[in-house]
Formats: sequence, structure tokens, C-alpha cells
Amino acid sequence: MGSKLFNKLLLIAGFASLAHAAFSAAHHRTYLRLTEQEWNSLPLDIILQTVISLVIVIYNIIEIVGNFKEIRATVDMQQKTWDTLGNFPSFYSFNHRGRALNPGYTPPE
Amino acid sequence: MNRVKTTQSKTGEIIAYSEGAIRNNISAVEYCRTSMAAISGCAAGILGLSGTLGFLFYFLSVFVLWILVLVKSGTQWRKFFINRRNLLTNQFMGGLCTYVLFWTFLYGMAHVY
Repeated sequence: MGSKLFNKLLLIAGFASLAHAAFSAAHHRTYLRLTEQEWNSLPLDIILQTVISLVIVIYNIIEIVGNFKEIRATVDMQQKTWDTLGNFPSFYSFNHRGRALNPGYTPPE
Repeated sequence: MNRVKTTQSKTGEIIAYSEGAIRNNISAVEYCRTSMAAISGCAAGILGLSGTLGFLFYFLSVFVLWILVLVKSGTQWRKFFINRRNLLTNQFMGGLCTYVLFWTFLYGMAHVY
């Protein structure tokens, strides 16, 4: 539970870092436009920040989704008893000879 | 109700799979894939990638997601997934649409305006 909270905090930090990188890129672009320089690529620190926060966000999303379930059917059936597995409500029968003990019972002709 | 699906392996023995567990795993991976497409689209837009480079970035991030899912399931991936290749190729085009949407949006926000 505690590690999941940690993952969520890291996820939020990753999103914040991604947003910060977006603002930095926009600022850099504005700066280049004002000083009339040619754009070829972003500075290395913005690229690094974007890629690292992308990896952090994807990793934490996978961690938050939770653990996968075992798909082999025999594994979770082994834990159960026959009373649980062999319980078929459609086949319940409530007619039995005990009703002949009822004082008001009249046998069919 | 927990239904059971069976397949025959190469050696001829029959393995029973629990359908609910399979569906749960696939939907978890699907969730990761959609989020990954959106966020890597954002990153591509911020980086200012254009043309073929952006699509290559999508292929790269799909591959990274595949590796991360396999790392999470550990050495015993057969316990959780029937087929490893389907994890890579499922919903590839749907993810690409999401990716292009976020890519163009963030590119416009950061680099055009």
C-alpha cells in the first residue's frame, strides 16, 4: 500500500516535470524567435528532462495498474473445496420423502 | 461466473485457462498502452519531432512498454499471458491515433504558438 502511494507521488512528479519541460521548450522557442536565430533542435537538458520523465511516468503507470492474475485455471481451483466447486443451484431439489411425515400430508391416489 | 477456456499445447497436453483472469490481464495492459500512447505523444510534441522521426518514436515507445510489461511479469510470463507477441501488436493502430492526437496538440502548443 505504501509503495503504491510512492508510485502515485512519482507519477505526479513525472507529469509535473513533463509540463515543466513543455514550458521550457515554449520559452526556448520564443527566445529564438525574438533573437531571430534559426531553430534546429532543443537544448540537451530539455530533451533529457522530457525523456526521463516519460520513462518515469510509463513505469509508474504499469506499477499502479496492479499485479497480473494467474491465468491457469487449475491454480485457483486448487484452493477451493469440492463443496464450493460442485455447488450447482440449478440442480437443487426440494422434493423428498420427508414430506410424508407432515400430519397434513395426503398421499396421492 | 468464472469460465474456463482450454487450449492444446505443442506437446499435446491440454491446458485450462481461466477466462476472467485472461481478460483482467489484457485490460490492464490495454490501460497501460493507452496511457503510454498519450504520454509519449506529449513527449514527442515537446521534443518537436516531425515526420518520420515522430513515428519512429512511437515504435520505440511501444517497444519500451513491451519490455517493461515483460519485466514486470518476470521470468514466468507464461503464467500471465498466453502469447508474448500479441502483447506487442494488440491495439497498435488505435494507440497510434491517440499518439498522433497528443503529438500534434503539444507540438502546436509548444512550437507553433
